[in-house]
Amino acid sequence: MSLQELEKIYYFIKRDVTSFSTYKTNMTLMVLGALFGALSYAFLGSNATMQSVLQTYHISFKDYLVIGVAFSTYIGQALTLVQATATPWQLEEVLVSPTRLGTFIIGSSAWGFIWSTVVVFIYLAVGSLAFGVALSINLIGTILVLGLGISTLVGFSMIGAGILIVVKQGDPVTWLMGILTSVFGNVLYPPQVMPYPLQVISYFVPQYYFFTCIRLMMIGRSIQTILSDILTLALMCAIILPLGYVIYSWCLKTARKNGTLSWF
Amino acid sequence: MVTAVDHLNLEIKRGELFGLLGPNGAGKTTLVKMLCTLLPPNEGSALVNGFDLARQPMDVRRSIGALFSVGERGAFWRLSAYKNLEFFSAIYNVPRSERHKRIMEVLGLVGLKEKAFERYQRFSGGMKRKLALARVLLPDTPILLLDEPTVGLDVISSRTLREFIKNDLSRESGKTVLYTTHYVEEASQICDRIGILNRGRLVACDTPDAIRGTVKKGEVVEIRVQSIAVAQIETIKAMDGVVDLISEVEDSVLNQRLLRLHLENIDLLPMVLDFLFKEKIRLIDLKREEPTLEDAFIELTGTGLGR
Repeated sequence: MSLQELEKIYYFIKRDVTSFSTYKTNMTLMVLGALFGALSYAFLGSNATMQSVLQTYHISFKDYLVIGVAFSTYIGQALTLVQATATPWQLEEVLVSPTRLGTFIIGSSAWGFIWSTVVVFIYLAVGSLAFGVALSINLIGTILVLGLGISTLVGFSMIGAGILIVVKQGDPVTWLMGILTSVFGNVLYPPQVMPYPLQVISYFVPQYYFFTCIRLMMIGRSIQTILSDILTLALMCAIILPLGYVIYSWCLKTARKNGTLSWF
Repeated sequence: MVTAVDHLNLEIKRGELFGLLGPNGAGKTTLVKMLCTLLPPNEGSALVNGFDLARQPMDVRRSIGALFSVGERGAFWRLSAYKNLEFFSAIYNVPRSERHKRIMEVLGLVGLKEKAFERYQRFSGGMKRKLALARVLLPDTPILLLDEPTVGLDVISSRTLREFIKNDLSRESGKTVLYTTHYVEEASQICDRIGILNRGRLVACDTPDAIRGTVKKGEVVEIRVQSIAVAQIETIKAMDGVVDLISEVEDSVLNQRLLRLHLENIDLLPMVLDFLFKEKIRLIDLKREEPTLEDAFIELTGTGLGR
């Protein structure tokens, strides 16, 4: 390769580094994301994790992991659904029609949830048939926990989407919720294996209650056994979902007032 | 804060094809967005089909069809034209029993019936624009807000679309149309009345002919002559009442020139013609130029427009 061609490659890299460095928030979030990711995998590999799973749920670590990973797909979808479907230009097209905002949000998100349900079914079916994951589903409890968990996270999703509509860049809310899910959410390991100050954070994260409850419902426990956790989740939902709607509506109103709705 | 629309007072009559003309940044799109409830005005009020923008937004939305200058962004690329319209027919409350008929009807109107089941992503720019218009026509609303509908279309598609808007939508269907453009010819060809918007203010509002009539630019006469010397041109230029004279070589072999004379008054023309006869300069052609809508626009706003 000639020097001239190498110089061109250098300018490609220079262009991208310069451009990337202008997204300071994004850069910081990426670095922090990598640090937290490493932290979560460190806990995942410890013996204490396996012991804790056995003590808390009386199931194997494999069963714990399959259920966690299956439903984390659901949570990941729920967290980004509103942002992904409510693009500014679609918003503009729909908002000039006689369609209510609530209808638009539910309509835009519905297919994502249906597809996530299919994915969760596939995960659980493969886990059960191929890896012998012992499932004994409490259907009513599962539906209840799913309803509360998803509604809470859609609340966060609306907050993130609202911020995105106003600032037009990556929103920190969705990023933060993603980190909280993987580190404190009880997805890959029980928070009880973490040092106490970190455990405390888990108790403020709705995902912790969601994964605790859904696992117990997947192995056939009664709703009474998760009553305190489900009530905590319901309380969080009652606060976050309306708050998300209010913030989303306010951001939408602000973008409309500023005439920046269709900017991206 | 930028004031995009400023103290605008405008009434568009039912069934009228009203053109809103203005340069880029004049406030045309902002006004359309306000009228379709996307952008709340800081102050003032407006009625659309008798409904108040601020207090009855849903009724306003039921009364209008809005096409934005980048209308193709709202479409779904991997769906066919039919499936796109099927989605929007639900969004626009088209009764389920009428949907299929209405979709095929509007596809026929914009000339896309043959492409109904082709994926949108395979459409050309012109076809995408037509589908955007089909979407606007879907709910059969009495009012259409068309923001630069011919942007990105070739000359033939533009003309076809303009004729469709004028003949089918305005004349035959009796729809009230607000048509924004920065193309003078477009507005003068199809609109019943024109409003000229400049920096958010309405600087003129009348029929195209009446607006042309407001131009006070003196008289422009084009004279084609043969064998005129530079000194003779300078003599004409120096005559009293000649504001300007532009001379262009039209045919160097035949030694023909075009003189574009700007006179203070048309009564001064005989003086120029006398000079040409006296100097035995052969006059081939003479044409008095009418003021155009673009002249009116330039005079009213101090800005040039694209054609």
